[in-house]
Amino acid sequence: MRSPPPRIPPSLEAQNRRLGLLFVLPAVALVFAVIIYPVFFNLYLSLWKPALNPAKPDLFVGFGNYARLLADPQFYRSLALTAVYVALTVAGSTLLGGSAALLMNRDFRGRKFARSALLLSYVMPVISSVFVWIYLFNPLYGMVDYALVDLLGLFEVAPQWFDDPVLSLLLVCLFDIWRIFPFALIMILSSLQSIDGAVYEAALIDGARPFRIFRCITLPEILPVVASVVTLRSIWNFYKFEDVYLLTKQVPILGVYLYRTAFTVNDLGLASAISVVMFALVMGIVFVAAARRKGASS
Amino acid sequence: MKRKAARKLALDALVALIVLVAVSPFVVMLGTALKTPAESVAYPPKIMPARPTLMHFADVLDPAKFPFARYFANSFIVAFSTALIAVVVGSVGAYAFAKLPVPGKRFLESGTFVVYMFSGILLVVPLFRIIAALGLYGSRVAVVIACLVSTLPAALSMLGNYFRTIPDSLEEAAFMDGLSRLQSLWRIILPLSLPAIMSVFVYVFMIAWNDFLFASIFLSDPAKMTLPIGLRQFFSSQDYVWGRMMAASLLTGLPVVIMFAAVEKYITGGLTSGGVKN
Repeated sequence: MRSPPPRIPPSLEAQNRRLGLLFVLPAVALVFAVIIYPVFFNLYLSLWKPALNPAKPDLFVGFGNYARLLADPQFYRSLALTAVYVALTVAGSTLLGGSAALLMNRDFRGRKFARSALLLSYVMPVISSVFVWIYLFNPLYGMVDYALVDLLGLFEVAPQWFDDPVLSLLLVCLFDIWRIFPFALIMILSSLQSIDGAVYEAALIDGARPFRIFRCITLPEILPVVASVVTLRSIWNFYKFEDVYLLTKQVPILGVYLYRTAFTVNDLGLASAISVVMFALVMGIVFVAAARRKGASS
Repeated sequence: MKRKAARKLALDALVALIVLVAVSPFVVMLGTALKTPAESVAYPPKIMPARPTLMHFADVLDPAKFPFARYFANSFIVAFSTALIAVVVGSVGAYAFAKLPVPGKRFLESGTFVVYMFSGILLVVPLFRIIAALGLYGSRVAVVIACLVSTLPAALSMLGNYFRTIPDSLEEAAFMDGLSRLQSLWRIILPLSLPAIMSVFVYVFMIAWNDFLFASIFLSDPAKMTLPIGLRQFFSSQDYVWGRMMAASLLTGLPVVIMFAAVEKYITGGLTSGGVKN
């Protein structure tokens, strides 16, 4: 009787390779479907004037959307607003979070409670936080306006936080600093805690003053984390939408401008051109910064 | 030593001040939820009501007065589905990228860097068109799909980072004992990674639970609205009923605050694991 041809067992390596492919397939397929394809579709759409009625064909306009964008004064206004917004919120939240981290990096009673309490604004859904801020800053009976006008006498009349362009810019910045400073706090606190305590003791024995210890030991240790907090936060806040849109109509940062162009004005072609330009700006700034850092270090 | 004690007191007072300012909006939220309508617009304003009432909580939870339960259920369906898909697809994919010979590993690792420069708002227009073309406009599925844009890459990269900290020797020992890849994944890697997986689940759940952007684009039928879009719609269409708004806001935050508290130490540790763990 002839035995069947011996089946060579697939090598472990080949088996692993097959399993690996099987495992990454869903993830790769999903990423392709929800990110990569839409990215290219967006580029494509930015060259067209998409018809509102799906039964009608789209109209090819070439770089017409980009030309219209660059001629739109609202675009430059949004760009400037976004730059101010990013600068103020990133600086404010990093400084506040960093200071809180330095204060928390000690032993004291209720430390755990304080840490959890400080995370609350970061965890709370934005819609809930927006509602209570609208209440707090209400010009008629809001507690903030009451404190500023009646208790402190800083204002003659209640400031119009939601209608005045400058005050509402200040308001959305304050709101965002309050909401996101816990991110900087957590990141900087955990990098502070990874510093070896023996280094501090040695410095104290050598008679170093607190400020010198901070400048020569603490600061260099946390600087890389601070840099990545600032980088990530700048990018995320550049794309900010909900926190501003839900609070006031007076601060059309780029995210709001994009959203309104797409869904209020229904100009989908211009909207996709805006998002292409936004992404290009971020990529450009990040790569220039990375190249400069490389140049500086070599 | 007296100076040292005074310094400690001053620093403790500063911490207390920061905590107080950071938490005060939520104290006001609770206080207002317990106020009568007249008291919530009284001048000068008070933080806590003289006579607390639970009427607003009762109103919010009464389906005849307020569709809170329906919005809540919709939010839960959307957030749970998004988190489940991101965690299942993410775990399996991240395991393969971390532990198996997969083509394109390098490409993926550089790809995660680009993902950080990305955001859901950039893709609202193409996603809107794609969802419409698929006939999914107005459905909760559309919101789930859109929420995966930002959460799936994050899940992949967070879980991948975690799996890479598990030493290969652990699995090699399992293979020696005769376990297959799948068995070792199921019996060793996944149980060991449960805290990380739970944290990613909560992280994705929170993002989907909070999403306003995509819900506002895709959902127009009140029966399908999630909390953020439903509450906004409801409260902008009539005069502000502050007590009800604040009660609804508190209840909207409750699930994510509880979930976050449960995994807090893993999430706050995991955010920075790159620097802390070797």
